[in-house]
Amino acid sequence: MLETLGNLGAGFSVALSPPILFYAFVGCVIGTLVGVLPGVGPLAGISLLLPATFGLDATRAIVMLAGIYYGAMYGGSTTSILMRIPGEAASVMTCIDGYAMARKGRAGAALAIAAVGSYVAGTGSIVGLMALAPPLATFALRFGPPEYTALYVLGLLVLAYMSSGSMVKSLAMAALGLLLGMVGIDQMTGYFRYAYGVVELGDGLGVVPVAVGLFGVAEILASAGQPAPPEVIKPRMRELLPTRQEWRESGWPIARGTVLGFLIGILPGSAHIIASFVSYAVEKRWSRHPEQFGHGAVAGVAGPESANNSATSGAMVPMLALGVPSGPIPAVMLAAIMVHGVAPGPLLIQQQPQLFWGFIASMYVGNVMLLILNLPLVGLFVNILRVPYPYLYPAILIFATLGVYAVNNSVVDVWIMLVTGLLGWLLRKLDFETAPVVLGVVLAPLLELSLRQSLAMSDGHYRIFVQRPIAATLLAAGGALVLLNLYSFVRRGLDWRAKLALAEKGEAQ
Amino acid sequence: MRQGVVTLFTLLALVTPLAAMAQEAYPSRPITLVAPFPPGGVADLTARPVAAAMEKVLRNPVGVVNKTGAAGAVGMQYVAASKPDGYTLLLALSSISIIPEADKVFDRPPAFTVDQFAPIALISADPTILVVPADKPWKTAKDFIEDARKRPGQISYSSSGIYGTLHMAMELLSHAAGIRLRHIPTPGAGPALTAILGGHVDALASGPAVVLPHLKSGKLRALAGWGDKRVAALPDVPTFKELGYPDAEFYIWAGVFAPKGTPEPVLAKLRETLRVAVGEPEFKGAMDKLETPIVFKQGEEFQKFFDADARRLAAGVRKVGRVEDKK
Repeated sequence: MLETLGNLGAGFSVALSPPILFYAFVGCVIGTLVGVLPGVGPLAGISLLLPATFGLDATRAIVMLAGIYYGAMYGGSTTSILMRIPGEAASVMTCIDGYAMARKGRAGAALAIAAVGSYVAGTGSIVGLMALAPPLATFALRFGPPEYTALYVLGLLVLAYMSSGSMVKSLAMAALGLLLGMVGIDQMTGYFRYAYGVVELGDGLGVVPVAVGLFGVAEILASAGQPAPPEVIKPRMRELLPTRQEWRESGWPIARGTVLGFLIGILPGSAHIIASFVSYAVEKRWSRHPEQFGHGAVAGVAGPESANNSATSGAMVPMLALGVPSGPIPAVMLAAIMVHGVAPGPLLIQQQPQLFWGFIASMYVGNVMLLILNLPLVGLFVNILRVPYPYLYPAILIFATLGVYAVNNSVVDVWIMLVTGLLGWLLRKLDFETAPVVLGVVLAPLLELSLRQSLAMSDGHYRIFVQRPIAATLLAAGGALVLLNLYSFVRRGLDWRAKLALAEKGEAQ
Repeated sequence: MRQGVVTLFTLLALVTPLAAMAQEAYPSRPITLVAPFPPGGVADLTARPVAAAMEKVLRNPVGVVNKTGAAGAVGMQYVAASKPDGYTLLLALSSISIIPEADKVFDRPPAFTVDQFAPIALISADPTILVVPADKPWKTAKDFIEDARKRPGQISYSSSGIYGTLHMAMELLSHAAGIRLRHIPTPGAGPALTAILGGHVDALASGPAVVLPHLKSGKLRALAGWGDKRVAALPDVPTFKELGYPDAEFYIWAGVFAPKGTPEPVLAKLRETLRVAVGEPEFKGAMDKLETPIVFKQGEEFQKFFDADARRLAAGVRKVGRVEDKK
């Protein structure tokens, strides 16, 4: 412990040196911008900036790139709350209750809670990263294909709890998302599926164009179709801050989101996206007022926004402790330090203490900077809502199109956004939720690949899922969840029958 | 940002009258070097120092653009269809000869064919090496192959994806040694490494730089290499050639290509530029840090290497065939 503190002290002396401070600040500012812009997410931001870091040294490079990563998680909530357009994919869940809060005139409060939640989660999860990196990384490696399959199945079952309306409808939407996720090269055999000769579709439908289409474009279409234009919200300055009640309601969700996000973040995959989904489901399940979710529940903003932030620190655990990328973003960050001749791997912490501890300390500093940067911006961003819709919506559409195009320099992605936008509009008209579709698109390729990898490992025997303790435990948890659900379903059914019986009795009387 | 600028320049250049261009000395405007894989991968990390060194030699801007998608097919198709004027070049890996073969296997119209490109120069070539977890019983490649013979289809390995480089290396070995292994594809070289470190698979063919830290830390053991010669950083690890499997030869290589039909004077200029560029100290330093040996070949020599490599890979892809057809 004492040694850790000593190391951290040395780390702070690196992190607070002017050049490192400068690059952390630059990273945080770019991250916030990248997060705010719809479409362009942290991966696109880091990829575009990677060549610019070749001229720096390894510590500066990784400090700046990490700043972009967690900075984007702060910025991502802005457009979700104000315009129902996810600034990046991990802010999809924030669209639901954040936007509902904005419609009720609580946009400032939602933005402030998202920023504070991100700060608490960011700082809290670095403690976890610092204290637990080596043992946790080793544990994360024990997650092979069967464990992932079990985890994703569990995730889909948790989704069943997420539905605010009909469960059948939300499961149907998840199924639609899973089907859309099937588009692209079959990873096991190399077949092109549903690509119709379009080479770009070989990579499947990207999460970003689908999310921006289903939420943002659909929202714009829906508003344009209303007989009377939606009222322009005029936020007043004194309404910017959350009330005491709102603070109280967001306390526990932030704490739970922090822990949950960190743990999910350690596991490879699109962790920060999944973390926000799971956090939303958990908050709704634990809330005393689940009926408020979807209509501006504070916990529905606080939980997911904290979770996606702490997931970024979680994702750095395997990267720093083992030199193993846990997703595309850590992979680019690893490349950035490799270019400088620093070999990532299990020996990194011992061989490059200055880099490791300087990096950790810079994340503490960066989170403080982001809080200071984001809270005053709340007042500024909220004013966007004053812009009349005939000007605001075309502008949003332009930004969304540019952002989606910039991710892969691909016009096909823009088409995907427009088509899913139309689809999202149609689904809204029919009263379907669109969040499960996005989750399906995220999970389908992961679930399919891990399931088929597991079966390849076991030569086609399903017993591999029960033979491995972690996988078996996760599946058992999923099974318990289903049973619980069935139980309440049956009981509700009894209630319903009982009521009907009572009603009949009443008629008889 | 830089990508945007390069694209803008390219667009501007396209509207410049053709007649004026024909008279200008090459190069008179920015050159685009397309890396068909995302930033941070081998193609991108090689393309950037190559572009920087070319820029210095030519005194003309050379920009890297990542045109990614479909295992590189999107970017390669893009260059194949570009104007053969020397302003759009491709930094390709061995997948350039694999993708058209895989398309053939599936009877689909190929996204591009190898003869749509004019090879300019080979920049680097790194043999893959066979690694196993240190707690496995195999101490030598001989142990490994003998055990695989005894238990066909039981020893598993991870790869960077079906028909990917790490898959092809293992297939060439299986073919040469007459063994059958169990293939677990993953989405990339990173996840393939994670799988072996987590003990979920028994073996991996990998570039030396990626596994060196794990060999040093004692988590993995190297058994043999696919190279013509031993890897400098691993002098004790024999090659499959030495062990009597000359057909198990495989390199992760990177080379620069132009679209077919590029005028010979332009190609000559590019060859000369690259020859000087790979000698630049900055370029050598950049490749040193990536622990990737520079192997420069051009003209006849590169064509010969490329043809031999393409032949081996084509045979490998055909041998794999359609996966679900051979249950």
